[in-house]
Amino acid sequence: MRLLTHNMLSSNIKGVTNGFPLRIEVEKVVEKEVEINHDFLRNIFPKIDWKAFSDASRIMGYVELPEEAPEPSVLESDLEFLRKFHHALLELHLEEGALVCPETGRKFPVNKGIPNMLLHEDEV
Amino acid sequence: MKFPSLSSFSSPSPMDHAQCLRLMVFNSLRAGRYIHRFWGTSTLSLDSFCAFGYPVICSRMKEIKVKDASTWCTLVPDGEPHIQSVCEDHKCSSVSVKSTPEIEKKYVHRVYDAIAPHFSSTRFAKWPKVAAFLESLPTGSLVLDAGCGNGKYLGLNSSCYFIGCDISPPLIKICVDKGHEALVADAVNLPYRTNFGDAAISIAVLHHLSTENRRKKAIEELVRVVRKGGLVLITVWAVEQEDKSLLTKWTPLTEKHVEEWRGPRSPCVRCPSSFSLESIPETEENGLSGHMKDSRESLMEDMQQSACLNPQNKDDSLVSKDGRSQQEYFVPWHLPYHRAEVSGASAVALATGLAKKDDKKGAVVYNRYYHVFGEGELERLVSGMDNAVIVDKFYDKSNCGSLCTLFMVEFGFSNMKNEIKKLLVKDTSPSLK
Repeated sequence: MRLLTHNMLSSNIKGVTNGFPLRIEVEKVVEKEVEINHDFLRNIFPKIDWKAFSDASRIMGYVELPEEAPEPSVLESDLEFLRKFHHALLELHLEEGALVCPETGRKFPVNKGIPNMLLHEDEV
Repeated sequence: MKFPSLSSFSSPSPMDHAQCLRLMVFNSLRAGRYIHRFWGTSTLSLDSFCAFGYPVICSRMKEIKVKDASTWCTLVPDGEPHIQSVCEDHKCSSVSVKSTPEIEKKYVHRVYDAIAPHFSSTRFAKWPKVAAFLESLPTGSLVLDAGCGNGKYLGLNSSCYFIGCDISPPLIKICVDKGHEALVADAVNLPYRTNFGDAAISIAVLHHLSTENRRKKAIEELVRVVRKGGLVLITVWAVEQEDKSLLTKWTPLTEKHVEEWRGPRSPCVRCPSSFSLESIPETEENGLSGHMKDSRESLMEDMQQSACLNPQNKDDSLVSKDGRSQQEYFVPWHLPYHRAEVSGASAVALATGLAKKDDKKGAVVYNRYYHVFGEGELERLVSGMDNAVIVDKFYDKSNCGSLCTLFMVEFGFSNMKNEIKKLLVKDTSPSLK
């Protein structure tokens, strides 16, 4: 699971008001290189909840991202920032661990990079 | 097929909806004939499509006459459309719509889990209309594929980010092994933040949901997870109900299935009248990339087999004796012995009666549950939503059935519907033939 995906995920358990962001429990992180696309990063950037993303990257062991979201203009010229953004967003994978609902503490397992977000009968 | 305006859809601004509305106009061609026409003397062209949008190579197939070719340029419906409920048993509404009914657990979830690798190996041909839609999306789009199966469409547009989800862990494993981003989730309860995605697709998924409320919920979820001004593409298996000569080779649900269906969380039962034992060839072939020998052989076999079988049924009509349309079916999947596990899902399935052995075909036969959409049914479901607008719809030219596809544009303001309507009326493009 990449952090871009994590930035989209929310706990959908019945009764939960705000299931985002899911807290990450790390057992294994894997890095997989993928080609950088600057245009893609510039288009995706406004969609990202930066705080959740930045916090998640730290939990995954990557400390290079600023805690505060940079100005969009930074993405136009700062290649170094783009590289770090790209790396945290797309190249870090949570291979084993769990995603935890912020309100109920319910753990959604992540195995072999695959989160299982299916709910039990009593959670729907 | 052209998408003239979507290329200009470059910004996620909600005010660009005017541009993104000028979408494609497709032919709507309904080919109501299905596989019973397969034996005959003419040949189908290689790029004709089967029920699920995959090309099927069959020799000796009768030429399919398309009923009519009318162009659809969809207008926003006037007034407040409401959804007619086809569910007549009101007792079934008390259970959460997000709970999975027994019939889906047995005849969708478990079946796909058991057949996943074989199923995946037959699912590689991409339906051009879906591919074109995905390719038209702007760079950096977040695309959600709900019910992604083996991930056929994930990553199709390399400038976009795809997240696939499916109820079947084995199918998701296949997606992830290919390098895609995918997770296990329920289309009726998507684990995504609201209004986050740029586009969502639901390709041949909703017909596996056994109640209208669940199908409606799945559509609501697709609209919820897409941002205002975003796009949703849905395809389902649909048939023309007035086409009484359409004989499907599927097993309509009969009384013996009632108990399974009427589990603790069950949809309503409709009374089917016809019963047919013929099976549908499940394989698909891509004319460009070659074929799988065993698939082709089993396909031919199925057709010949079907020619001999017609045990009890004299009534080929889709309409049951009490006048209601038959829409609930079991569609067999033949899992060749060499593909079925020695121990594991298939052994358990056979032991519990979920699957049967067919020694003649050398396959374990599973049944998959389908709700075949009726004419206008998908449109009706979408029209009933006040935050989504049908932008276009079309029926794919198909010799095996028809597929109904809708584009929906989501808006935050219902008064925009009139604006859209004006745009669509003004902007009627010639149909693409």
